[in-house]
Amino acid sequence: MKEEFKIAWRNLWRNRRRTLITSASVFFAVFFAVIMRSYQLGSYDHMINNFIESFTGSLQVQHEKYQDNPLLDYSFDYTDSTEAAILGVEDVVSVTPHLESFTLVSSGTLTKGVAVIAIDPVREKNFSDPETKLVKYRITEDAVKGLNDSGTVPEDVLEKVKGNLGRAYSSLARLELELDLDNDDGERFIPEILKWTEVPNGYLAQDDDGILVSDRLASYLKVGVGDSVILMGQGYHGVSANGIFPVRGIIKMPSPDIDNKLIIMTIPAAQKFFDAEGKITSLVVNLTDQSNRLIKTAKSRINLLLKDKSITARTWYELNPILYQQIQGDSQSGVAMLGILYFIIFFGIFGTVLMMVSERKREFGVLVAIGMQRNKLKRIVTTEMMLLGAIGLVFGLLASVPLIMYFHYFPIILKGDLANMMEDWGWDAVMPTAWFGPYFYWQAVVVGLMVVLATIYPLRKIGRLKEIEALKG
Amino acid sequence: MKVLELTHVNKIYNSTEVKVHAVNEVTLDFMEAEFTCIVGPSGSGKTTLLNLIGGLDMPTSGEIVIGGTNLSKLKSSQLIDFRLNNIGFVFQSYNLIPVLTSLENVEFILLLQKKTKAERQQRAIELLTQVGLGDKLHKRPGELSGGEQQRVAVARALASRPRFILADEPTANLDTKSTENLLEIMEKLNHEESMTFIFSTHDARVVNKAHRVITIEDGGVKSDLVQQPH
Ligand SMILES: Nc1ncnc2c1ncn2[C@@H]1O[C@H](COP(=O)(O)OP(=O)(O)OP(=O)(O)O)[C@@H](O)[C@H]1O
Ligand SMILES: [Mg+2]
Repeated sequence: MKEEFKIAWRNLWRNRRRTLITSASVFFAVFFAVIMRSYQLGSYDHMINNFIESFTGSLQVQHEKYQDNPLLDYSFDYTDSTEAAILGVEDVVSVTPHLESFTLVSSGTLTKGVAVIAIDPVREKNFSDPETKLVKYRITEDAVKGLNDSGTVPEDVLEKVKGNLGRAYSSLARLELELDLDNDDGERFIPEILKWTEVPNGYLAQDDDGILVSDRLASYLKVGVGDSVILMGQGYHGVSANGIFPVRGIIKMPSPDIDNKLIIMTIPAAQKFFDAEGKITSLVVNLTDQSNRLIKTAKSRINLLLKDKSITARTWYELNPILYQQIQGDSQSGVAMLGILYFIIFFGIFGTVLMMVSERKREFGVLVAIGMQRNKLKRIVTTEMMLLGAIGLVFGLLASVPLIMYFHYFPIILKGDLANMMEDWGWDAVMPTAWFGPYFYWQAVVVGLMVVLATIYPLRKIGRLKEIEALKG
Repeated sequence: MKVLELTHVNKIYNSTEVKVHAVNEVTLDFMEAEFTCIVGPSGSGKTTLLNLIGGLDMPTSGEIVIGGTNLSKLKSSQLIDFRLNNIGFVFQSYNLIPVLTSLENVEFILLLQKKTKAERQQRAIELLTQVGLGDKLHKRPGELSGGEQQRVAVARALASRPRFILADEPTANLDTKSTENLLEIMEKLNHEESMTFIFSTHDARVVNKAHRVITIEDGGVKSDLVQQPH
């Protein structure tokens, strides 16, 4: 065994250049495949988490007809006992009541259709936690001008600030990330920048009659904290609903699509506005993690608990079938691309095998003639092929590890046109890599399969080898 | 003692349009410690005959018996093991595994015979010293001359302690000096180890060294003479 490995290893380096080229092609294929897949899956996860965390939750308990007809008519009575029972289900982290509907909002001459989500301001902290999404800093024209006139920051720092004109941030970390100052500059100038960009904001009190408005919507309506807007719509069983609501705060939603059309208020305020006493439209259930398996199990467990059979649990992907299909489609086209890449690489490996076999026909003949069993020869050639694949595979995986780790924690933040384009499509312009998972190990399986496939040829040749013909060369 | 017996051996090639009777009714005996040369014009059937004797090819009819074993009774994998333990081979060229050193090449055949590491090393070093390559144990074939490579091949053929050594034109690619040198070594091993050698050649000087000369023509034995080497 040891001897076979030694011979195989040395054989591998007989044609150093060819081995290096073949290994390099496997290396680049694996490296590219891992990185690309990691970015793809990472972006999906990011997007899904955005969606789940700030909008749908892992699961929602709803009236069975609400999915197709999201009307207040399909709301249900909110009871503490149902909620407590769901909280008792394994892997459930939080259960949060929502009353969701649509309405028109207007301010001055501007009107827009928006989504209203009514929440319990305290308990919502366990779920989407809108308080952390309140805009704290905003890079406005005035802020840039003030900063410039103050003369307290150097030109290059000012340029970076200008580069993010119009952006709003709900955390200092995100602001620092996007400004991308080096450590020294950050320490010295961030306090100065904060002075000019900090904006006042507020959250909802427990029985508040005010609202939170999403950032893009607020700028469309040209309203800020302290202003009021008018809401007009249809309430429970078709009654008309109207009201004036003071704006308590501006929140920045990660998903631009949602950021364009969201108003948050308290459940009592909404029940009053919509004339839907004691009703909610959904219970948002969040789980410890978002794997499909976990979500499916939780769904069936919750459905068993629900006594009223017109109320049912739905998963986030049942709630957003289009997003889910988009992700699936994109993922499949990514896999197809890798398939083509590996297909090309396979022929590289196969070419090497063809040359190797024809060059060594005579040598194989001599070995079998002097008394080496064909199986032993097959084992040596197989080992050679495995090594050939393994070199590229191992180095390809190793090379991708630091990149995946780095960009998982420090994701690429897209800027400029590309970022705008992605945001228009409803995607957050952040691209983290996915942590090591099956996609990583799958590369080994794929390379392994290619090697096995390419090895069939020399093994058949050896099996059919006629000593005297091989010896003739 | 007889090491090898051929009775009414025929080999007919049907593959081409014309039938070729490459070996024709050959009946021969070889005794232990013989030093036999097979000569004949090109195409007379020397290689075909040696391949049959070596169990690399099967006769169309007739029997080849080595140490009591009829070769045609063996299955393919049994034949390989039989060759490993009974026949030493020296081919015209490319005998050696290019990625192994002289020592490893000789050890290799002992490894196939599942000999212990100590036994392998001792025998390989001893034989390589006998063929005059004691100072080139760790050279790979690419770093050796053609003559040196053939000497390693002879050492390897001998290492497995076969009943006889077959060599089809072992000197065909060698210059005069290397040819003489190789023949001397083969003769010495024949003498010291009582090893049976059966080799073919075109070279008159090689023929002169043989103790027995078998002349083949059109696949048949034309003459079979014992001579005084000169
Ligand atoms: N595989 C084969 N198929 C058909 N005919 C063959 C085959 N191998 C050998 N022959 C024929 O058998 C005859 C004997 O060939 P062989 O190679 O044994 O001669 P040889 O004495 O070794 O010649 P040389 O001295 O040139 O090596 C030749 O006529 C050759 O053409
Ligand atoms: Mg010949």
